[in-house]
Amino acid sequence: MKPGALNRSMWAFHINTGSCNGCDIEIVASLAPRYDLERFGLRMVGSPRHADLLLVTGPVSRDMESKLKTVYEQMPGPKAVMLIGNCGNTGGVFYESYNLVGPADRIIPVDVYVPGCPPRPEAIIDGLVKLWKKMEIRGVRK
Amino acid sequence: MKPEDVISSLKKAFGRGIKDVRIEKKAANAKKKYIIYRLWLTAETGIFKDAVRHLCSKYPDPHFSACSGYDTGKSIELIYHFTLNYATRLSEFTVSIKVSLPKSNPVVQTITDLIPGALIAEREMQEMLGVKIVGIPDTRRLFLDKTFPADVYPWRKDEKGPQKLVRNLNEEGKP
Amino acid sequence: MSKDDAGAGKGEMVGNSFTLSIGPVHPALKEPLRLICEIEGERVVRVDFELSQVHRGVEWMGTRRNPIQILYLSERICGICNICHALAFCRAVESIGDIDVPPRAQYIRTIIAELERIHSHILWAGIMAHEMGFDSVMHYTWRARERVLDTIEYLTGNRITKAMITIGGVRRDIREDQYPVLRETLNFYSDIQAKLEKILLKDPVIRSRTRDTGILSRKDALSLCVVGHVARASGIRKDVRHDEPYAAYPDIGVTPVTPDQMTGEIRGDVYDRIVVRLLELRQSVDIIDKCIRGMPDGRIVHEEKAPKLLAELRGLEGDGIGRHEAPRGEVFHYVKMSKGESPFAWKVRAPTYNNVLSLVPMLTGRQIADIPVIAASIDPCMSCLNRAVVTDSGKRALVDQEAMHRLSVKRTQELKRRLCK
Repeated sequence: MKPGALNRSMWAFHINTGSCNGCDIEIVASLAPRYDLERFGLRMVGSPRHADLLLVTGPVSRDMESKLKTVYEQMPGPKAVMLIGNCGNTGGVFYESYNLVGPADRIIPVDVYVPGCPPRPEAIIDGLVKLWKKMEIRGVRK
Repeated sequence: MKPEDVISSLKKAFGRGIKDVRIEKKAANAKKKYIIYRLWLTAETGIFKDAVRHLCSKYPDPHFSACSGYDTGKSIELIYHFTLNYATRLSEFTVSIKVSLPKSNPVVQTITDLIPGALIAEREMQEMLGVKIVGIPDTRRLFLDKTFPADVYPWRKDEKGPQKLVRNLNEEGKP
Repeated sequence: MSKDDAGAGKGEMVGNSFTLSIGPVHPALKEPLRLICEIEGERVVRVDFELSQVHRGVEWMGTRRNPIQILYLSERICGICNICHALAFCRAVESIGDIDVPPRAQYIRTIIAELERIHSHILWAGIMAHEMGFDSVMHYTWRARERVLDTIEYLTGNRITKAMITIGGVRRDIREDQYPVLRETLNFYSDIQAKLEKILLKDPVIRSRTRDTGILSRKDALSLCVVGHVARASGIRKDVRHDEPYAAYPDIGVTPVTPDQMTGEIRGDVYDRIVVRLLELRQSVDIIDKCIRGMPDGRIVHEEKAPKLLAELRGLEGDGIGRHEAPRGEVFHYVKMSKGESPFAWKVRAPTYNNVLSLVPMLTGRQIADIPVIAASIDPCMSCLNRAVVTDSGKRALVDQEAMHRLSVKRTQELKRRLCK
């Protein structure tokens, strides 16, 4: 893939694997007019088959484990994954439970981790910029 | 309507089936002193549904708030929380009716024919504690999905509890 | 394509029932509430739901942590209404131990709870507008919401998870030099509320989409024990702030808001719910104003040092109930302590548990294009609730969320053409 090919048009699909929705409303706030991620070329789409980037929030619950894998496989390459919030990274406050199956990177490979509970919209933008740089320099997953 | 009237009418109707009655008066203090009443009582399993029916007929449309439950080792105790006297200024009080079910036979009657809004709470008790609710219109699981093992009840503290399924996300193998 | 596709149920139409993902419907936010409706032609015949995707076992976790750790856990049960769970839990523990909360702390708790109510109602107004296809109203309200988040950050340090409430009081004070910022925010929101009333309530297209849609009769509302604005829009004046004395509400006096205060009649439809919510926004601004004027002096917490507080809590024994009027309805917590490090039992009942059953009478017999509007009008809190999956009659047609949303928007545009000639 040519470097810079995804700079102006990253299409993202969001999946909530059981989070408290704090991270989700911060994603929405970063798309709202004040932080406005869309001016960087990011667009949310309704189907994983049109997406380049997968935004994952939440500790993965038992029910959502197979769905997360399916969504990841449905995305056509080149693709990237970004984990938002403490729950997906290490479990966060929900570190011990009978219905949660491991942090998300046990199930799908992850490129960028954005910590925070919930992370501020500025942190999400920072994560996105790092992702673009990473894709330019290191290439992406096929 | 006062909490004492509710107690006396239940006692008159069911006599010794109503035990451990407690009227709690808690102070709620901002600038002036206010009192909140909480009623707690235990009903025998046999007269539990009749007690709820009595409550519904004497005080139309009691508000059903929640149903909590826990495992005490030998028995499972369910507490049904109702509130009466809503929509009147500063005079609502809760009525919590406890039923104690032996683990060998944890069976209780449904109250969804009297209060349809109790369906979700009853389904939750069935799957979390293994209580069998007779007459419930919908016996499917509510919060646990299909891959969850059938004989595990998450709120139990005995061998049927979720011990084997617990995972610590911090300790999962990381590279 | 499998029927159980992750995501919002993708697939071909292979029969006559379908899965719908509902929630704060921005394409960003999926997987929250899932209804499966069985349809014949254009009408919904049966509605069912299943809630299992967000179950994290919070109540089980609570029996392994001490009460102060549970405070942090309870805040993260829901990201939109997080103060309400912490407040209800604290009320339950305080009632077991007869812990006295100083008056100044009660007033500060009220201010924070009402700020959260303003934030949640404005978020919901944006979602309702989006469901009907008015995207610029959605962006307008979400931009307006940033002001209250900034104020919350100014007072508490964080936008979403505020961590202000502790057992026996609050953790931070609201000083006098912070009042001017708070007052400016209140003026801003009085303005916004007047504008939202004009946009949402006086528009003929919105009125024709929401009037007599999703009616919940008074009888159904009483028997299903619904709470919050759903009950008040159907004429039942249930409001924990009015019925039970706690925090600063009895001093201030809160009247339950019903739609006849603005329109003169009560019909229990989606329009009435919008009316109730916008009037509550005005009420919240008033309540915060009165709290600032009447703020008492004194301490802000019963016991400042955490180890001493923990030692006191370890000796508690008994059961306690804590209730609070969250933006969505009544939140109910039950705690049983028995002299140990952790509580013996903890039960959380979020308001959406009671409200979700009301979708069955509201959706049966309606058209498909109305489903997103009606489902969003009860304001389901996705994570408090888990999801709702709708069952079917054997064949499953999976119409994805975008198609659903497009149907709803198309209906609005048809109405616009008809009404605004």
